Amino acid sequence: MSFHHIVLHELILAIVVVLILVLLLIITVLGYSFYSYRILHNRHSWKQIIEYKIMERVVGSDGNDEQDREFSRHLKEPSFRILFLEILVDSGRKFSGTAKNAINRLFYDFKLEDEAWRKLRQRKAYLVAGGIQELAEMKVEAAIPEIKAKLNDDRTVVYQEAQYAMVTFRGYEGLEFLTHFDKPLSDWQQLRLLSSIHHIPELSDVQAYTWLKSTNDSVVIFTLRLIRKFRLMAFYTAVYELLDHTSTSVRVQAIRTMQAIENSATISQFIACFDQQPIDVQLEILKSMKVARSKESEDFLKEQLWNNAAVSIKIHSAEVLVVLGEGQYLREISQKADTYDELIQIIKHALQEKKC
Amino acid sequence: MLILIAEDDELILRTVEHKLVKEGHEVVLTRNGQEAIEKIKESDFDLIVTDIMMPFASGIEILSAIKRHGKKVPVIVLSSMGQEEVVVDAFDLGASDFMVKPFSPNELILRIKRLTIK
Repeated sequence: MSFHHIVLHELILAIVVVLILVLLLIITVLGYSFYSYRILHNRHSWKQIIEYKIMERVVGSDGNDEQDREFSRHLKEPSFRILFLEILVDSGRKFSGTAKNAINRLFYDFKLEDEAWRKLRQRKAYLVAGGIQELAEMKVEAAIPEIKAKLNDDRTVVYQEAQYAMVTFRGYEGLEFLTHFDKPLSDWQQLRLLSSIHHIPELSDVQAYTWLKSTNDSVVIFTLRLIRKFRLMAFYTAVYELLDHTSTSVRVQAIRTMQAIENSATISQFIACFDQQPIDVQLEILKSMKVARSKESEDFLKEQLWNNAAVSIKIHSAEVLVVLGEGQYLREISQKADTYDELIQIIKHALQEKKC
Repeated sequence: MLILIAEDDELILRTVEHKLVKEGHEVVLTRNGQEAIEKIKESDFDLIVTDIMMPFASGIEILSAIKRHGKKVPVIVLSSMGQEEVVVDAFDLGASDFMVKPFSPNELILRIKRLTIK
């Protein structure tokens, strides 16, 4: 009897404990949901307040005292300041000229620098990258040494942001990290860096020649893109020498670059090296000939059309011949009795392409 | 002058609005392309400023709608970097001018002045 009494008592106790735990869990979930809702709600209303403040500065109008007081009150909250900084950096990318300067002034007026520095010194990679981005966007030159040190960080997001920041600060000179860079430079990163360089200083050849000789293929490819963007004719010979590079991707980019900075020897150089190149490079040469529209390539293209074993080379050759105005020649050979079927189909395809 | 601004970025929308109101213009704001097309059907604007990429209908669709409804109105297109081909399409459809973001609101006002003086 007493034993059953004890068991029942313990069972009730256990149920009560479980109920209390469930209740605590419900309270925690509700509390967390409410907290999340508050954050979301605050972010939305804060975003409006912040954007209004930025707009006010950009258009140069003065806000009323009540709004200014409300803004100052919010500024005491760390999460408001973090959001303010995020929106400010984002807004800086939308405007240029005096509007952009007004946005930068807001950064200093409200002393948001501290928030950005704090982020830069965090452990989490995305926070560090965010800090770099904010300090670079707001042109905090004092951050350059610390950002420069991040160029050697192992985390991709950090070193990529540091590279972009260095270029934002120093333009072409910010690319000096390429000299010792041994990791792959992604396509996206290459485009980001290229779009941030608006000018190449004189006497910058030495560095670029070094990059063309880099053992990092992505650095060589980036340099070729740079040469193309700024039409750096002086690099023609160095680019031509890359046609025997071990990487096919580098050779393809070298062909594109030669075409972009072409001279009177380009077509004959393309023809001379054609047979030694892998098919991807050969196709790139034909594409460049299509852009160049030089009659000098006519006989070579006819030769490829008739004798090259690769169908893709025949197709591209026929297409370039059409662009060169050799449509009549193609029509004639397609009607000859001794022309084999495959060639007739290729020619029809090329002529059809032109019509489209 | 009655000016329509079609832009889904609230900050850009409000900034341009304030600048234009300051210059003494009457401004109608739309935050998506479909809304802009509706407004264009309803009213005769003296000038339109439109973003290229917008929800529901793009700036290109707005230009097509202007052409379809036979409206003769100067249009300034706001584009982002890398949208060069779309800008060419915009000019084919009758755009008068374009600006690439990031842009200077002051320069936009100058371009609006230049277009409306003609």
